[in-house]
Amino acid sequence: MPSFIEPRGGPGKPPNVPRFQAGFERWNRKLHFYSGLFLLFFIWLFAFSGLILNHPTWSFTEFWKNRKQTNYEREIAGPVLEVKGDLAQARQIMTQLAIRGEILWTTTRTDPNQFEFQVRRPGHFFFIKADFARKRVTVQQSDVNLWGVIKALHAFTGVQMDDPRNQRDWALTTLWAFSIDAIAIGLIFMVLSSLYMWLEIPQKRLPGAVVLGLGSLICGLFCVGLRWLF
Amino acid sequence: MRVRFYRLIRDLHLYLGLFISPFVLVFAISVFFLVHSWLPRIVSETTSTRTVSALPLPDDLATLSGRPLIDALKPTLKKAGVRGEVGFVRHMVKEEKLIIPVTIPGRETTVSISLANREATIVTREAGLANALVTLHKSPGQHGPDIRMNWFYMRAWRWMADATVYLILFISVSGIYLWYVLRAERRVGVVLLFAGALSFFAMAYALVH
Repeated sequence: MPSFIEPRGGPGKPPNVPRFQAGFERWNRKLHFYSGLFLLFFIWLFAFSGLILNHPTWSFTEFWKNRKQTNYEREIAGPVLEVKGDLAQARQIMTQLAIRGEILWTTTRTDPNQFEFQVRRPGHFFFIKADFARKRVTVQQSDVNLWGVIKALHAFTGVQMDDPRNQRDWALTTLWAFSIDAIAIGLIFMVLSSLYMWLEIPQKRLPGAVVLGLGSLICGLFCVGLRWLF
Repeated sequence: MRVRFYRLIRDLHLYLGLFISPFVLVFAISVFFLVHSWLPRIVSETTSTRTVSALPLPDDLATLSGRPLIDALKPTLKKAGVRGEVGFVRHMVKEEKLIIPVTIPGRETTVSISLANREATIVTREAGLANALVTLHKSPGQHGPDIRMNWFYMRAWRWMADATVYLILFISVSGIYLWYVLRAERRVGVVLLFAGALSFFAMAYALVH
């Protein structure tokens, strides 16, 4: 059975290309499906979550209405008041409450005794209000279902393009963000390696060029063409 | 029969993969901008402002909201020469103003209509290719399903984004089949598949728990 892994010239035939090029072609093919296999679950996650994010009306993927909510109040100990800065104070409170996750700043602090912030990690939302005068903190915790986890993983980067105040402050967010980069690099490599493999097969060049041209034309319309047309 | 099936799957894998490769590149490249909250300035942004007067406005403007408001404002925007996807319209009652954001991938236009004299100030920002990729990556997105995709071309983009996902799923499954028939590569492939699954589930577990 012919396959993409065979060097040019087919099995049993002497390759009519230089040894370096033959080796490159062989490894290009191998790395194409090696990277695809390694990234398979990541690709499925982002493809599937992208689809459900694009269809918010699909009721079966609803997660917020079905959340499990718990409210509790705790006392906070002294060191929180001694540390300087919102981030350090938030971390102190989180340590005392044994909460882990990415801090999200949503409100501006006006009273030094009142401190409000959110902590998120996929599947869990914590709305934290600290009252330093009373040395009390109230926590509203929302736990969401698997759909909520899937959607959160798609966009869990710790940063927002239109809000420079929010920066990554949890090591796992950084690890996940760089994993997303690695997946994107893997996908770009798979596209480029597939183009090379396609060009290696002379009889597939013309039909391949037609479909690639059609895809590029449609994609180009959205990326630059619409601005040119309207 | 088996050889024919193999060839069919191999050709579909190749041609469908070639077709969606530009879309995959759009999503993959824009990932870097979204993950690092950074946009490269390949060409400098330009902003232009113009004024249009004597605009037609819907009679029942005060009673409309959401998608009906957007649909009712389309003739107004057409007269103003503004095309694109209309965002959330703000009606500032006290100031007698209507603020309409309109987006074309790579271009952001804000139309401020003074309801008293039916005059609009139109500010157009040419934001460039990187911005266009980010807009496309996030479209249609999960917010405002009632009002979004109100421009034909963005609806068409939604179809293309969905098609990209379905084709990626097909290509990944057909890729597994094409790998599996290569007996010599099975062991390495299984190890990589297992390593990838382990990395994925370990990371997801650590993030969630």
